[in-house]
Amino acid sequence: MSQGNNRRIIRRRQVLQAGAALGALQFAAPFIIQARGETPIKIGMVDPLTGAYAAVARSEVEGAKLAVQEINGNGGITGRPIELLVEDSANDTGTGVQKTRKLIERDGVSFIIGDVNSGVALAIAQVTNEKKILHIVPGGHSDAITGSDCHWNVFRVCNSTVMDGNAIADVLMEKFGKKWYFLTPDYAYGHSVQAALVKKLEAKGGKWEGALAPIGTPDYSSYLIKAKSYGPDVLINVMGAGDQVNSIKQYVQFGLAKQMPMGGTLFELESVLALPDDARAGWWTYEWYWNQPKVPQVAKFVADIKKQTNQIATARHWFGYVSIHSIALAANQAKSVESVAVAHALEDMKLPPEVGLIQNTAYFRKGDHQLMSDVFVGQAHGAKGNPDDLFEVTDVVPGEKAAGPAEQSGCKLTYPA
Amino acid sequence: MTQLILYNTFNGLIIGTFYVLMALGLSLILNLSGVINFAHGGFLAVGGYLAYTLSPYIGFWASLIAAPLLTACIGIAIERTLIRRLYGRDPLYSLLLTFGLAFIFEDMTRAIWGAQGLPFTPPSFLTQPISLDFFFITYYRLFMMAVVGVVVLGLFLFLRYTRLGVRIRAGTLDLETVSALGVNVRALRTMNFAVGIFLAGLAGVLAGGNLSLEPTMGANVLMPSFVAIIVGGVGSLHGTLFGGLLIGVASGLTTVWFPSASEAVIYVIMAVVLLVRPRGLMGEEGIMS
Repeated sequence: MSQGNNRRIIRRRQVLQAGAALGALQFAAPFIIQARGETPIKIGMVDPLTGAYAAVARSEVEGAKLAVQEINGNGGITGRPIELLVEDSANDTGTGVQKTRKLIERDGVSFIIGDVNSGVALAIAQVTNEKKILHIVPGGHSDAITGSDCHWNVFRVCNSTVMDGNAIADVLMEKFGKKWYFLTPDYAYGHSVQAALVKKLEAKGGKWEGALAPIGTPDYSSYLIKAKSYGPDVLINVMGAGDQVNSIKQYVQFGLAKQMPMGGTLFELESVLALPDDARAGWWTYEWYWNQPKVPQVAKFVADIKKQTNQIATARHWFGYVSIHSIALAANQAKSVESVAVAHALEDMKLPPEVGLIQNTAYFRKGDHQLMSDVFVGQAHGAKGNPDDLFEVTDVVPGEKAAGPAEQSGCKLTYPA
Repeated sequence: MTQLILYNTFNGLIIGTFYVLMALGLSLILNLSGVINFAHGGFLAVGGYLAYTLSPYIGFWASLIAAPLLTACIGIAIERTLIRRLYGRDPLYSLLLTFGLAFIFEDMTRAIWGAQGLPFTPPSFLTQPISLDFFFITYYRLFMMAVVGVVVLGLFLFLRYTRLGVRIRAGTLDLETVSALGVNVRALRTMNFAVGIFLAGLAGVLAGGNLSLEPTMGANVLMPSFVAIIVGGVGSLHGTLFGGLLIGVASGLTTVWFPSASEAVIYVIMAVVLLVRPRGLMGEEGIMS
């Protein structure tokens, strides 16, 4: 009896649906054709909005949103506006892959941007490569992304660990000496950056020891005890995000800052801001910095980010901003949103100064799709007057010099036939 | 080398006291109400953030008391509205509920205080090492140990000599009889939950001096605290105390030889204990075996 009821309901619904669809078709069809010229171009962004990298991921999304506003106010991509769809990868490979598939298959995005976490970025790249969708990695640093695991459709904005390591290694040896102790996070990024630094150090005859700390280690005292007993010229701290903040906070409380100087590759502004003033020290690389008196275009970008977020612009804002603008520039140049055409247009395309926002000209080089942009080397310090003035740039290393030739990256790009 | 081992043993004890503070709160709630509180790390973060917000107005010392009390109030509200409904059901239900609450807490703190880490600094005379050789012993860490010592002693005295404490212990052993004797079990469970959350909030304020305040800060100390309970033995607060110190020392000592195994070693200890003595080192028979 109930079965019969069910069947009847379904049948009635089907009739209703069919009727509605027929009706809609008659009126809606011409409307769709008419509006086709203005359908938005969808760009999907997958980033860890929750979890340990939430702060930097949010900066990337804010930067991307600013770029979308600018482009849409300026005619969009070939006359069509951009629609940015943001998904949370939750710092998890499975979630990141699933969200990417959803964006491509269900939402029909034309391009993908993501992820902060290199492991997630590499996994997403597998999906975008399979689906032949242009993919920009804004902030995952592992060398493999534009090295051994590179793809024709994948481009990266942030530096590789080799670039950061090469830019700072000589400075650290000159300033402090050639006996180093590493405090390194025990995952792909940490291994990769330590290897890059060790290579430079050993080439100059230096020696080192180090400890691999698991991600999320709350207490660094036992590592610092080991470091001190080794007696290095400099402590190389390449921990990431919150782990770096916690390890530096404890290093300063133990009074080690006076006995053992510290340095490394990244010490992001988001992390510096999370530390008390007396813990802001050491020699580091920045991938972009807001205080560039020689580049007039930077001031507007910094002001726009401040207006939108009430915060200082960081390298992460710039990553998101450059990612979106690069896509728009290349698509406008190719007059297409088809990924192969856009990828070809993006190769060796010079970013205009208002997008590149650095002294030299930024471009994605053809050999490995890595963005060639300046590396800022310098020293962190406590706030001087301006609460955001926390880093003194002493040297700007051009991207090509830091990266070395593309042939050495181990990347071989093959476009689909 | 001997110096390194000695240093790390002592250092492990310091870390262990912190796990003890977390684990005791978890243990209290688990013993009386059978709830595995996965949101404990969330309460820890809330305690730390509240202290950060309060300290400019009332100072570090007052916020050391006020923030955990406020956290306990939030705990009471959540126990009354949500957790209470699941008492007496399969522990899986409350586990799922608190697991969800942990995510909600993380996102709530992120929405209120921002995703960016915040610097919370205790008074500067505390954040200095006592000597150059023992640089890893700062006054702050000694202070932390003292606070934990006082709290643990206070907790054991409370459970032994006050009416409420005796009822909590009795309820742990046989809730039905306690209820039959006319004790308001609902109120008892609420108070017990509040005490547990107070300890989590206190741990949060203390952790804020060592770690940066982040929405995820509780998650990293939550698992070791569970391990402390399992190693020490479910149902025994003395066991929890011992388990916390044991894994602290084990993890500290491991860094002398295999730093990257310092996290894994506590799980190895847990696995061995579960295989050899499933009820835990000082646990009562029947609860876990």
